[in-house]
Amino acid sequence: MFLGLGLVLAACDDDSERGAGATGGAHGFSVYRHAMDGAPSSLDPAQASNIYANFLAVNLYDTLYRYKYLARPYQLEPNLADGMPQVSADGLIHTIRIKPGVHFVDDAAFPEGKGRAVRAEDFVYSIKRHFDPVARAQGAWLWQGRIVGLDTWKANGANYDEDVPGLRALDERTIQIQLISPFPQLTHTLAQGFAAVVPREAVDHYGAEFAVRPVGSGPYRLSSFDSARAVLIRNEKFRKEPFDLEAEGFDPASQSGLGLERLADRAPPFSDRIEVEFIAEDAARWNALIAGEVDFAKVPVSQFDSVLETRDPPTLKPHLAQRFNLAANLESGFVRTDFNMDDRRVGYHPDPDQDARNRALRCAIVKAFDWDRRNEIFYYGIGRVFPGIIPPVAPEFDPEQDDSPVRRDLDGALALLSAFGWNAGNLPVLEYGYTSSVTERQMFEQFRSFMADIGYPQDKIRSLTFATYGDYARAYLNREVMLATTAWTMDYPDAENTMQLFFGPNASPGSNTANYNNEEFNRLYRASATMQPSPLRTAMFRNMNRLVIDDCATISGISRTLILLWRREVAVLPDRSFVGGFFFRFADAGDVGATGSEAR
Amino acid sequence: MISSSAGYAAREVPAPTRDRGAAERIWVRLRDDRSGMIGLVVVGLFLAVAAAVWLGLAGQGWSAADGGRWEPAGPQHWFGTNVLGQDVFQRAIYSVRTAFEIGLAVALLSTALGAALGALAGWYSHGWVDGTVLWLMGVLDSIPFFLFVAAVAYAMQGQPWAMHLAMIATFWTTTGRLVRAEVMKLKTREFVLAARSIGLPAPLILARHVLPNTVHILLVQSTIAFVAAIKTEVILSFLGLGVQDGVSWGLMLAESTQEVLAGHFNNFLAASVMLFALLMGFNLLADALQDAFDPRQGTP
Amino acid sequence: MSYTLRKALQGLLLILGVTFISFLLMVWFGPDQTYTLIGKNATPAQIQEVRQTLGYDRHFLARYADYLVELLTLDLGASTSSGEPVSGMLARTVPVTLALMLPGFVLGNLLGVTLGMAAARRRGQWSDRLISGLSVTGMSISFLIIIIAFQVLLCTPYGLDLFPVRGWQVTDLPSYLRYVAVPSFALIFVTLGYNTRFYRAVFVEESARDHIRTAHAFGASPAVVMWKHVLKNSMVPIITRIMFSIPLVIISGSLLIESYFGIPGVGKITFEAITNGDQPVLKAVVGLTAAAFVLIQLAADLLYRAVDPRVA
Repeated sequence: MFLGLGLVLAACDDDSERGAGATGGAHGFSVYRHAMDGAPSSLDPAQASNIYANFLAVNLYDTLYRYKYLARPYQLEPNLADGMPQVSADGLIHTIRIKPGVHFVDDAAFPEGKGRAVRAEDFVYSIKRHFDPVARAQGAWLWQGRIVGLDTWKANGANYDEDVPGLRALDERTIQIQLISPFPQLTHTLAQGFAAVVPREAVDHYGAEFAVRPVGSGPYRLSSFDSARAVLIRNEKFRKEPFDLEAEGFDPASQSGLGLERLADRAPPFSDRIEVEFIAEDAARWNALIAGEVDFAKVPVSQFDSVLETRDPPTLKPHLAQRFNLAANLESGFVRTDFNMDDRRVGYHPDPDQDARNRALRCAIVKAFDWDRRNEIFYYGIGRVFPGIIPPVAPEFDPEQDDSPVRRDLDGALALLSAFGWNAGNLPVLEYGYTSSVTERQMFEQFRSFMADIGYPQDKIRSLTFATYGDYARAYLNREVMLATTAWTMDYPDAENTMQLFFGPNASPGSNTANYNNEEFNRLYRASATMQPSPLRTAMFRNMNRLVIDDCATISGISRTLILLWRREVAVLPDRSFVGGFFFRFADAGDVGATGSEAR
Repeated sequence: MISSSAGYAAREVPAPTRDRGAAERIWVRLRDDRSGMIGLVVVGLFLAVAAAVWLGLAGQGWSAADGGRWEPAGPQHWFGTNVLGQDVFQRAIYSVRTAFEIGLAVALLSTALGAALGALAGWYSHGWVDGTVLWLMGVLDSIPFFLFVAAVAYAMQGQPWAMHLAMIATFWTTTGRLVRAEVMKLKTREFVLAARSIGLPAPLILARHVLPNTVHILLVQSTIAFVAAIKTEVILSFLGLGVQDGVSWGLMLAESTQEVLAGHFNNFLAASVMLFALLMGFNLLADALQDAFDPRQGTP
Repeated sequence: MSYTLRKALQGLLLILGVTFISFLLMVWFGPDQTYTLIGKNATPAQIQEVRQTLGYDRHFLARYADYLVELLTLDLGASTSSGEPVSGMLARTVPVTLALMLPGFVLGNLLGVTLGMAAARRRGQWSDRLISGLSVTGMSISFLIIIIAFQVLLCTPYGLDLFPVRGWQVTDLPSYLRYVAVPSFALIFVTLGYNTRFYRAVFVEESARDHIRTAHAFGASPAVVMWKHVLKNSMVPIITRIMFSIPLVIISGSLLIESYFGIPGVGKITFEAITNGDQPVLKAVVGLTAAAFVLIQLAADLLYRAVDPRVA
């Protein structure tokens, strides 16, 4: 047993920073404890493909741009950049200057261990990495085929000493990007974790281990990281930019009462230390919040009943309202179930009559789907059901649109089936794919019961289960899944991001999981892709939306409402969406004294 | 003649009036073991329920989502409903069938495999056959079980029998070792030597003379394997590697982990209680069998 | 000398067998990690690139040979999910798993021996029946149920709320005790039934031997008889059980506990590696487990000889 103790003490947390880090001056030592419902596998920005990794990447590193902390709808704002990009008249050349005096943290990767100043060249290097196979980066798709010379650079062997004509550092602090064709969402992509700036020295020094040894210039640096938690501590070298409420988009009407006003003019990051717990199990995460072991958690759906006093608008029960603040945020994405249009049993068919019959079948299935019940059972009724593929959080969403495509119409479904000669005997077997988990299985069983109401035999609706998400992805990316349910998280607040989900050339293994291919849709997409946001473009998007709905290519969709709770003493407005993570630097847990995180 | 052997503690037995055969003695001991009988009755009840489900007489409404969410126990849904509105009682009943399917398949097949390979190893002991079987047992015991199951599950592309195969392939080793030891002992007994001296082929001797004398081991081991199979299924289903379609107590427990903290205990209680009852029944039965075969070990 | 050689050869064959079969399972039947490592909108060319960096295209035997070399030279590579060196991951997680499981394991066995002895001494009396009955009950409750119930009862405001819900922030003895308590309780609860019954059976068997009856006849007190004679002579089966349950309890058992309580130990990373298809981590864990198994067998042999000189 003593052996065990000895081993334990040798493996324990590195808390040495706590004593030395009490530089809040008059503010004591503050710790913000965050709980996430998943874990990042890698801290390398090039691999920040999920929201958990993105959160950490944007705090350990700098991105050129970020989103304003408090402004809703979301607005871009310079972060590492000095100002918004200067764009040439044809929209092809973007010039960006970066702020002076920004330094990387001290690290053994640098000569004498001292972090050097961040240069424009670092940004160029960081983007190039996405096109280097060795880096196993996952963000290339954002800039593929868009930046002059980048694809050729990759084809030529990805030599970092070679220049890319469309991605250059004009001098120490000036970046110039030359696009092949206009790319209105470019600046948005520069606010993602993928576009974070990393130093070449660290990547060369650490190799594959760079993924767990971050060296950045962000507001925090890493103290420890394992499969259960990550601990971030304040980066003393981070630039001092006093918190300006108005500039961040503060709205006194809806955002007072959070304690944000007292933070004005202080320079973020406000917390000396951030402990991020990775708690995927709903029960454990909820327990941790109630027991006071974490300051923030996303409430699991099974707890909504016991947490919410009213649903619309959501408010907390009194005993919880004393302890916690609540934010009910619509997710920046949506959940839908795609038909595999390449599967002749339900999708496109060379014979026009059969094609029409298949379409009728799909539309009948869509009509028979009971969104209200799905919403009620799995999302506590506070999810937002909408027809098509423009989710409510997108600026192009039409609140007035006709929602009959998502209202259950059993009569219509039955009429379609009989009109096109479908009956229990000749209906095809539906294969519904999902990753093996409790909720997914329940959704499958619910789907089966929905279909029973239009006479679909129970044994003709089969589950196609996969042990892991990777297996599932492999199957649907290889077009092997007839009905694939996926959740799409938007990368930026622009409906172009969801339109590309149904663009023909993006078919599997691209993100067009439905393998939808409609000439009119494709034409409209190509035309709108280079347009800046405008009423005309919005009209085109809504048109394309209508096409997808009419073809019944997908059963879509619902945006979940996330209930976020945090302790009242913590002055913060948290957000879990694609802008996710930037708020960490503004979270102030207040003065918890010298004992740090022992809040019990 | 009173049957007793050295070391057999004295106990009250009705004085036997004639010399019963060994099998009858065992049966008498079993019958007199009260907890064993309780176990047998419990297992029998569950078996009857499983048969009823197989025949389509009960538990057929396990998948119909027609109730309200988390209804309490009532006349229409005896244990209430789960989050989808499915009847918890029906699901628990249907799970008995799932449990028996897994338990029986794994118990019978792993015991049979263990008997076959153990007998071979014991018969040709210290030879290369024995060496190979021992090596195989060692290897299978050292491979992380979940790796095995996940790999088999993936290989079978989500087929329902993946989990059963994985369990059979790893559970046989205990039986194998015991049978091997027993066969090595039996090999030196007179009746075996006699059979060999008259030239009977080894497989015949093994099948007709040796293996029947290992029945006590096989019986006990199969009940133990049944219990182990069900317990393993619970954990595998919880992890998502187990039962894929249909319902089992493991799946019900997995559902219940989210519900329990919202104060909905129906799923948890139904699955836990029934699982406990069946396991308890089988364990009591296994105990009673062991005692019946070897009375020195048990509580008299 | 030839005995040691034989044992070493057997151990080697075992390690080869385990690694070969496991590697077979991993390569042919394991999850394809490519699809978790590609981004959105990957092109077939990108997918192929990732496959190549993962080494999927090479011949099976070539990869197996590499695997053996890696084990021999202890060059375990880096995780393909996170890039962290495997040796670093093991150095970080193995002590945690040991610290987590050892107290429960040791206490479970100590209590099992004590209770088993108490039951064996009072064979047939009500206390024996009680202990046996409780053991059977304990054996009939699923580990999963125990974990869920304990977490609710001990760690949440719905119950006693005495211990942390999850995690492993151990800095000193008091915090260690707080974090290890509930997992240890769960482990003891689950294994105690099996342990008690096993030890009871061993002691009963031993007590029936002639030399014990002789000791009684000579007037030794029952307690002395139990402790001095029965226990000492039962050491072989006791050691066997303890040694051979180490891999099972500590490696497999830790998986559930670590997943549920969020403890960053070797069970958790193994399970994640299994579901992600992270081959370097799995190869290392499997290889080292096989080696540990062999070492345990060797240690058991040595202990037998130390404890019971009759063992050749």
